[in-house]
Amino acid sequence: MSSRDAGAKHRVSLTTRDGQQVGFDCAEGESLLDAAARAGLHLPAQCRSGSCGACRGRCTSGEIELGEHTEQALSAADQARGETLLCSSFPRSDVAISVEQDLAVIQAPGPVERSGEVVVVEPMGGGVMRLLLKLGPAPDGSTGADFIPGQFCELTLPDGAATRAYSIANTPNWDGLLEFWVRLQPNGKFSTWLQGAQAGEQLKVKGPSGGFTLDESSYAPRWFVAGGTGLAPIAAMLRWMGEMSAMQPARLWFGLNREADLFAQAELEALQGGLFAGLEVNVCLWQPSTAWSGCRGTPLAGLRPALAQALVDANPPTLYVCGPAALVEAVVALAAELGLDPGQVVSERFLPG
Amino acid sequence: MFCYQCEQTSRTDTGAGCASARGACGKDATTSDLQDLFIHELKGMAEYARRLRDLGQGDNEAARFMLYGLFTTLTNVNFNPARFTQMLQQANGHRERLKGAYEAACAAQGVAAETLGGPATYVPAANLQQLLCDAPIASIQAGLDAVGEDVVGLRALILYGLKGVAAYAYHALMLGQESDEVFAGVEQKLDLLASEPSDVGALLGAALETGSLNLKVMELLDAGNTGNYGTPAPTRVRVTPVAGKAILISGHDMVDLAHLLEATKDQGINVYTHGEMLPAHSYPELKKYPHLVGNYGGAWQDQQSEFAAFPGPIVMTSNCIIEPQPSYRQRIFTAGPVGWPGVRHIENHDYSAVVAAAKALPGFDADAEAQEITIGFGRDAVLGVADTVIDAVKGGAIKHFFLVGGCDGAASGRDYYTDFVTQTPKDTVILTLGCAKYRFNKLDHGDIGGIPRLLDMGQCNDSYSAIKVAAALAEAFNCELNELPLSLVISWFEQKAAAVLLTLLALGVRNIRLGPTLPAFITPPVLEKLVEAFHIQPITTAEADLAAILGDQAA
Repeated sequence: MSSRDAGAKHRVSLTTRDGQQVGFDCAEGESLLDAAARAGLHLPAQCRSGSCGACRGRCTSGEIELGEHTEQALSAADQARGETLLCSSFPRSDVAISVEQDLAVIQAPGPVERSGEVVVVEPMGGGVMRLLLKLGPAPDGSTGADFIPGQFCELTLPDGAATRAYSIANTPNWDGLLEFWVRLQPNGKFSTWLQGAQAGEQLKVKGPSGGFTLDESSYAPRWFVAGGTGLAPIAAMLRWMGEMSAMQPARLWFGLNREADLFAQAELEALQGGLFAGLEVNVCLWQPSTAWSGCRGTPLAGLRPALAQALVDANPPTLYVCGPAALVEAVVALAAELGLDPGQVVSERFLPG
Repeated sequence: MFCYQCEQTSRTDTGAGCASARGACGKDATTSDLQDLFIHELKGMAEYARRLRDLGQGDNEAARFMLYGLFTTLTNVNFNPARFTQMLQQANGHRERLKGAYEAACAAQGVAAETLGGPATYVPAANLQQLLCDAPIASIQAGLDAVGEDVVGLRALILYGLKGVAAYAYHALMLGQESDEVFAGVEQKLDLLASEPSDVGALLGAALETGSLNLKVMELLDAGNTGNYGTPAPTRVRVTPVAGKAILISGHDMVDLAHLLEATKDQGINVYTHGEMLPAHSYPELKKYPHLVGNYGGAWQDQQSEFAAFPGPIVMTSNCIIEPQPSYRQRIFTAGPVGWPGVRHIENHDYSAVVAAAKALPGFDADAEAQEITIGFGRDAVLGVADTVIDAVKGGAIKHFFLVGGCDGAASGRDYYTDFVTQTPKDTVILTLGCAKYRFNKLDHGDIGGIPRLLDMGQCNDSYSAIKVAAALAEAFNCELNELPLSLVISWFEQKAAAVLLTLLALGVRNIRLGPTLPAFITPPVLEKLVEAFHIQPITTAEADLAAILGDQAA
């Protein structure tokens, strides 16, 4: 493995069973399987270590270095026919490969445009509105809300005057319902509409998008840091963990400016009772009144000692951070300073809007 | 982790077994270690349960939990570590209850209670980190340095066979069939394993006893299936989709299918079987539902492509689940012993979420070109035409029978079974069962005087039917089982197949050809004993094996 230059990239041309061609880049140190997944192409795979034979493909041109694999998974005769195991194939030139799946089968679902009918608009405290939409049918006829908790949608107002991206706060469901938590901005176009919005109005909804999602393959504790309505995608993740009886213990640092900004308190309380391995909630106010008995300062004040201790205990968490850019950058810097593996920090900044 | 329970386990020059971060099946090291610990606890439960039953006080609640627990550890059944951390605590609760009951029974009967050690004293830690630290005591390789590979492998053979027994017994249990004899047998074998036995002869004997136990269990399961759903009859099954909303159900558990069919009745939703659920179409009480429209896809290892292309929800009822791909992760559901992190689980046969999903998903927009296959040749169907069959054999129209079946898998060597079946002479009959049949069940094999040359007997557990047919034929021909013009060519993958294999050996069946590779846990010296006693042999090539079988017969 050490001889592989992870930096050198080659172009991979993949032909599917139905004759479609797609291309992606793959570094010399990256398997074709992983590179394809990064490009949204999820090929069959089980062991990802060259021993099951599930990720078989055929190399039709170019040079591939075949890593560790068993004879059972790929025999010499298979290799002589040009067959390879994509999990153990590392490109040494531009390559062309073919697979036995149709393109539609291996492509992850991408964003689609649907209508969204307003079902509920209501204040949830702190100048934040809950907006509940019911989706119209998707182009393929499906009517459910299928997404990965943590993803977002772009909402366009009925008159087309503004488009804003908001994270989804609820979990995937077959009723086609999407919940958004929107902070009202003074004179904001979307905020102005929201304050007078009526049930039955129709928005355009494009989504789902975004890679701020749970690492389902990791059993590390899950720690969440939210700034303001950055809580929405984290609420979706926590609600999902509740539905799944996820085993990872969860902690949340939720940062707001002052008491008047508090929102979603009932939702957080419900989550605390609903998680299999428990949820510790720390609401952190930057400028609280003297009466505030919770955390003071930004979420970092509480996160720093906790993370340092977890690293001492050799039980490092995965950090999920969503909020204003300054908060995200500060958490990323703190993690780097304390020595948390950068792969264990998953973050999303508020999109400018 | 160390695991070598399935056929596709990693094999290298330095040895066999999956020992990295993730096994060949996709099971990760955390889940594997938790499964080992859980088996360790089940052994501890059995130490008390066996003794309590010996005192006349069997605890069937604990025994049912053992069946379920063992089932969750089969290959591609439950890879959700959260479920194992829960069950570790539940097992501890059961064991404490058993211990209390055992000590009370001893006191009441005036006998001294044994002080039990080993797994009976293990207390699971409260957190994952500590549990993982404890895992080495529960490894399948524990004691390797002291007892050697042969003994460790034989212990594994018993445990893996027992897992298959438990899986079938759990299916039977779901169908309302249970037996104290089976509970006692499972407890006795787990208790034996807890005692770290090391006598090779005794271990081999115990392995065959596990096979005999499995025969009893398959009989129970057969009674459960036929008792609830009638006697399977030859049936044409559509294997291409029809237009409309659709649900796909996979696995072995007919009870789940029956509940699903009720839940979807008159809802405008079609139900398709997948994999080992195919035989459902031959049961009168299941095929009576008009919305059970057909079978979709091939064997389990093709599911990542086939499920992605299926336009409705998918239910996995037993084995064999592979890591769900992003494109269908939200619409796959697990039921019963099955589990995967981040996938929704059906509790108590409540299929309302699956029905809602089916209605929200597009379904098939058009009928595909019709294609049908014939299934449903259970023992009653075959024995119903026994006279014709016997006449055909005596008249020379049928020269030989092959039983080609078992599990399928992804390894390229499994093409052997397609080659074998397609090369069998036209005057031979092929009986098949299990999901290995998907390698050849959509090909046209013709018929002999109206009897199809390929007779699909059902699921892997319908080996019971095959055994009954073979026994009836032996009686009709007035010969021993091994003297019949019948050859078994078995494809194995996981632990149900291990149980069936032990059953066949326990019945004294010789000359079984086994592939695509032999179990990694059977060491050469143990294999030598099996070859000596049963003349079991690995497959070679279809041409050579056919020539050897038919040549032997000619000679």
